[in-house]
Amino acid sequence: MRIKNQSRGIGLLGFLLAAPMLAHAQISAEIVEQHRADFEKQATDPDMKREAGTQPRDWNYDLPLGVRTRLVTFYVDGGTALNGKLFLPKGFRPSDKWPGVVVGHGINAIAIGIEKYAARFAERGLVALAIDYQSYGFSTSGSDDIRLLEPDPTHDDTAVTEKELRVQMKRTNLNNVHEVEDFRAAISFLQGEPGVDPNRIGIWGSSNAGTVVTAVSALDARVKATVVQVMTPRPFARRPAGIAANNLEDAIQRVRTGQGNEIDGGFSFKSKVDQWYLTRNQDVAAGSWLDQIPTTNHFLFLPAEKDELMRSTAGAFDAAKFLNERGVTAQVIVYPGLTHFQAYSYTGFEVGSTLAADWFVKYLGARQASAEKQ
Amino acid sequence: MKTRLPFLFLILAVAGLVAPQASAQSSSGGGGVVEREVHFYSEGVLCYGKLFLPQGFSDSSKVAAVVLAPGARQTAASLEKYADDIAAHGMLAMTFDYRGWGKSGGFLYSGETVRWDDRLRFSQTTTKMRIRRKRLEPQLQALDIRNAMTYVQGEAGVDRARIGVWGSDLSGGEAIVVAATDARVKAIVAQFPTLDPSDSLRDTQRKAFAPTVEQQATMIKLARSGAAPTTSRAADAMSAEESKLALAEYHPFWYLEQIPATTAVRFVVAEKNADAGVAAAAAAKLVKGAVDLVRIPVATQALDDHARDIAIHAAAEWFAKSL
Repeated sequence: MRIKNQSRGIGLLGFLLAAPMLAHAQISAEIVEQHRADFEKQATDPDMKREAGTQPRDWNYDLPLGVRTRLVTFYVDGGTALNGKLFLPKGFRPSDKWPGVVVGHGINAIAIGIEKYAARFAERGLVALAIDYQSYGFSTSGSDDIRLLEPDPTHDDTAVTEKELRVQMKRTNLNNVHEVEDFRAAISFLQGEPGVDPNRIGIWGSSNAGTVVTAVSALDARVKATVVQVMTPRPFARRPAGIAANNLEDAIQRVRTGQGNEIDGGFSFKSKVDQWYLTRNQDVAAGSWLDQIPTTNHFLFLPAEKDELMRSTAGAFDAAKFLNERGVTAQVIVYPGLTHFQAYSYTGFEVGSTLAADWFVKYLGARQASAEKQ
Repeated sequence: MKTRLPFLFLILAVAGLVAPQASAQSSSGGGGVVEREVHFYSEGVLCYGKLFLPQGFSDSSKVAAVVLAPGARQTAASLEKYADDIAAHGMLAMTFDYRGWGKSGGFLYSGETVRWDDRLRFSQTTTKMRIRRKRLEPQLQALDIRNAMTYVQGEAGVDRARIGVWGSDLSGGEAIVVAATDARVKAIVAQFPTLDPSDSLRDTQRKAFAPTVEQQATMIKLARSGAAPTTSRAADAMSAEESKLALAEYHPFWYLEQIPATTAVRFVVAEKNADAGVAAAAAAKLVKGAVDLVRIPVATQALDDHARDIAIHAAAEWFAKSL
């Protein structure tokens, strides 16, 4: 199935009619209505069930005609090398000014699973960058995840030392503080890409990355449009993070031996992760930071009606209401009948990627041709 | 994954090899305080710490503990008198060096491509590494403070529910941030605290960082060509750029309202620095729980012996009273 902006005519009409009644509805949700039968089929077809994660067949995509890709390396946290895949729209010319979008994967996953969103965004005229967070996929482990197995030979008389050393590298360190930094570094990379307009950057995050992009939006005013899929960052008051007794025991083991307990992590890609993440990720309290999001940003929430992980779509509506009351444009469009991991395939993907692209195109704008070439 | 067991074994063996060891104990100045050098991991990095144990301290004691965080570009050595006095008041005190400073290890970056596989969580290799030191970034240091807190909480004889944090200048601000974000903290002393990037409380409302064009240019440069440097000169230049950006986003003042009413806060300010006094007074108003402000008769944070004695007493007294 392929949906190609066919909703646009009706959508615009629908928007114009609905606008006076729904002051904050900013793009048309007509496409959801048009595909209600498809959603229902996806919700009930046994082959389209996705109970514990996405499947490899969900990650495939055909590169749209004219879209080119390039693998890129960018850096975070003092020199940790991260991997990104850049998707350039058809007709891309570095002399023009194109909007850019960073696309980030969910909990314990890798960029391969969500490249198809970047491809779809590029098809709609956005420069898209799909990234692996540090210690995942093709990105290297960060300095928190590398441990020396011999004494550190350095002293304060030199700011850097290069030396052959025995080390232990750790992978899949699920750490939202790092993911926030990784996203921000990707935004910086994209801002510096010739042909990208540094003042028109958006971010897309799904599942755990929905928390991350919400946090990034609260910390970094460079972001002008944010799409949060299957995450519902309910507003709450700021407070210090507590630590459960068993997590404190684990943290003590961690500071005393260099490694705490491991627990199972992830859905689509399973691996062990440090138990420490249960404590550390509280430091990215996105729902309590919503009041920092500037009015120059624009927020679209795409929750799934039957999301078994979020339990309810209410958090997205609460967040959107909270933002609207503070003058930030925000909208919620629900995927009817779908569960969490169904958002990534079939109608969930087709409609979800179209809505996200609609949002970015509306709030980041289109390519601006350079004057001298016209 | 079927190969997990042997690897776990390997990890345990290696952990044993470089596990933190308690080194020599010695008694210090007076009051029966015993000093003990220790090591702890802050994330992947082995860090140096020094414990100051109160007289009669044993595994069955139940004493409060205070972590003392060095100020900007300072090390644990600068805080020993403070720690000693806190221990003389019957509490355990711990000083430490941040990652990349003093006797602690530095930040690790692989200098060449290493193969890995995410299905194998831990792998060992001998490879060209770059180790960076002297990075000055408050959010990294705040995490070191929290890991030091975890270390003292694991010390038999410490009451885990009574933890204090002391900090000066940059770390005075970090003490505020940690008290606001980590529920384990019950008392802090913020000496000459950095409260805001401009020190004039220009931006008292929380908001997203809106970097200037110049700051954005630095961010772009770091993201696109910010591999770990190979020369000290380049590393110093990069640290300076990173630090400038990090400090521009550093607003401890924003965190004051988030400190719970159960946490006691003391500000220590230089009496002759009027601006700092005004800022600290404004900060104190936002604290919900026990709060006070001690003025030391100096103009700057460079303390003579007399002023230092006042500062040391102000710290020990506050923690003794609040913890």
